[in-house]
Amino acid sequence: MNSKQIDMIREDCSLVFSNPEKFELLKNESILITGGTGFMGSWLCESISYLNDVHNYRTKITVVARDTDKFYEEKPHLAKRDDISLINKDVLDIIEIPNNISFVIHAAGTPDNRVHLSYPLEVINTIAKGTMRVLDACTRLPNLKKVINISSGLVYGAQPSEIERISEDFISGPDSAKSTSAYAEAKRMGETISSVYMGQFRIPLINLRPFAFIGPYQLIDKPWAINNFINDAINGGPIKILGNEKTIRSYMYPSDMAYWILTVLCHGSSGLILNIGSSESYSLWEVANIINNSISNETLTITSTLNRKTNNSIFVPDVEKAKNEFGLVLTVSLKKAINRTCRWLTIR
Amino acid sequence: MKKIIISDPTLRDGSHAINHQLTKEQVSKYCSAIDKSGVSIVEVGHGNGIGASSIQVGLSKEFDIALLESARENLKEAKLCVHCIPGFATIKKDIKPALDAGVDIVRCACHCTEADITRNHISYVREQGYQAYGVLMMAHMAPIDVLVGEAIKMESYGAEAIIIMDSAGAFLPDKVQQLFTSLCDNLNVHVGYHGHNNLGMGVGNAIIAANSGATILDGSARCFGAGAGNTQLEILVPVLEKLGYTTGIDLYKLLDAVDFISEEFKSSIPTVNSLNIVSGLSGVFSGFTKHVLRISKEYNVDPRDVFFRLGKRGVVAGQEDLIIEEAHNLSQEKIGKAT
Repeated sequence: MNSKQIDMIREDCSLVFSNPEKFELLKNESILITGGTGFMGSWLCESISYLNDVHNYRTKITVVARDTDKFYEEKPHLAKRDDISLINKDVLDIIEIPNNISFVIHAAGTPDNRVHLSYPLEVINTIAKGTMRVLDACTRLPNLKKVINISSGLVYGAQPSEIERISEDFISGPDSAKSTSAYAEAKRMGETISSVYMGQFRIPLINLRPFAFIGPYQLIDKPWAINNFINDAINGGPIKILGNEKTIRSYMYPSDMAYWILTVLCHGSSGLILNIGSSESYSLWEVANIINNSISNETLTITSTLNRKTNNSIFVPDVEKAKNEFGLVLTVSLKKAINRTCRWLTIR
Repeated sequence: MKKIIISDPTLRDGSHAINHQLTKEQVSKYCSAIDKSGVSIVEVGHGNGIGASSIQVGLSKEFDIALLESARENLKEAKLCVHCIPGFATIKKDIKPALDAGVDIVRCACHCTEADITRNHISYVREQGYQAYGVLMMAHMAPIDVLVGEAIKMESYGAEAIIIMDSAGAFLPDKVQQLFTSLCDNLNVHVGYHGHNNLGMGVGNAIIAANSGATILDGSARCFGAGAGNTQLEILVPVLEKLGYTTGIDLYKLLDAVDFISEEFKSSIPTVNSLNIVSGLSGVFSGFTKHVLRISKEYNVDPRDVFFRLGKRGVVAGQEDLIIEEAHNLSQEKIGKAT
């Protein structure tokens, strides 16, 4: 990572965290983040670091991850900070959490569907048992104020075509008889486990259901359409749309994601379930066009390669609850998110 | 009209038929001719793909890169493609140099139940901005739901097409229809079919695949391929056109390229002989034929018995050493009976 990329992220944080008094509850507190070196964890570290540096929050972060060496290598500006300490540990090996921890964000578990399909049992194990490990350790914390379990928007199963945006009270689920549902089913189980710990051990807990994101720290080799489009465009195109160009998705920029998560951490009540994502839906064709225009390469073309009919799936959250209960809105449009992502990836 | 992408593995699968003794000159001449016909994709290299030249499966006459460079020079329109079996091929040693030599498409292949091993290779190719296909070999050995599951994995790794390879020429039309219908219902990428002719079903099965949603079909000039050979390209193309599909191929120019193969490899053009039929019936990879014949002679056993024994054991490419084991077992049983 170069200094310009770090500056861009800092700029994103300064724009979204313009009302720091909202997060005063976090001042002088200690937050533990499992999976803290991944996309979501890194943005949470960036955001809290910003609050510490600019608004003197003095919030301590403890990051639990399987490969902290990589974190040192790739994000030394975070890994070497005094207010961030690292624990190199698999979430399955967690027995004790440092006693000073008052907030926990459980974000361990990769959303990479290549891993879900190749290692479904390991994925189930990490999510289900890992959640139990973390929550077990939480039961022994003397000053625990709140836990956020990062679930997934995939717990709803396939979004019915007649529903434009899926809300938190929609009860459905993935096809439990398919091994391809391993991640989504494990996330559902994670929510059930959370509910049990809330009831049985009185752990104050919130389940968040993230949808899709695009922004810095997201690797463009990830197997999601928008990442591939950006990769194609940066490599000079053409942008290839595999499958159905009418597939509908929405994307949230990660500074908004971090802002939403920390807002809910401070102000959400135990038992809350909330979607995290953008409700602005776009077809893949529209997304590819926005990327094409963003890169501004006249020779770039968009090709939709498949000439047979496929189902056009939808994966878009209803975020009215976030707006009504917490005043949460999107501050970064998709166009701006793509612009900043492309710039971040290419800036030297 | 539905467009079918024709992929031509003559200079890759055909390499089996000549013990991988393909020369740069042969590659140059065929590529130059087939490029003029409008074939979309031309596959070149050792029969088992890049990096496979070895004592176990056969040493190539030429280095992979030399063949690919000859092909690249002569392919102006068609895309240059390599077959790549992880294990034989590694990213650093084989894929990267192949891409540097001008390869457009890497077909990452594995036994039909082991898609996991293609993940790194497919991902690497896609990350470099090239096209990666996933290939499920010996597809007759797995039930349809398993094949669909493995294909979904490859799609998740970034494969832009999934090719079903009937390596033993063992498929019958009903299964082809059910399989491709199911693949098309579950995948969002191209689906393709690579047939072998052991049971005479090469062209027929390819048509069934197309009718069931396949958009990529493999065909070799004069069936030039392992064992009984592949789906015959110069028959497949006009039959598709007669059925209303478009291939974008000029038939006369295609036949000119085919004539080169006929002349150049006249003593090695595959035929559906007794052993090939047994290979298809027993579900053993067509590429085993030459080895089975040679080893059976050495052990004085019936090669047809060897094939059926191998079929019962469910052998796959790379397990050629088991041919000796089964031939030995049969010879021992023969001696036992005699005494």
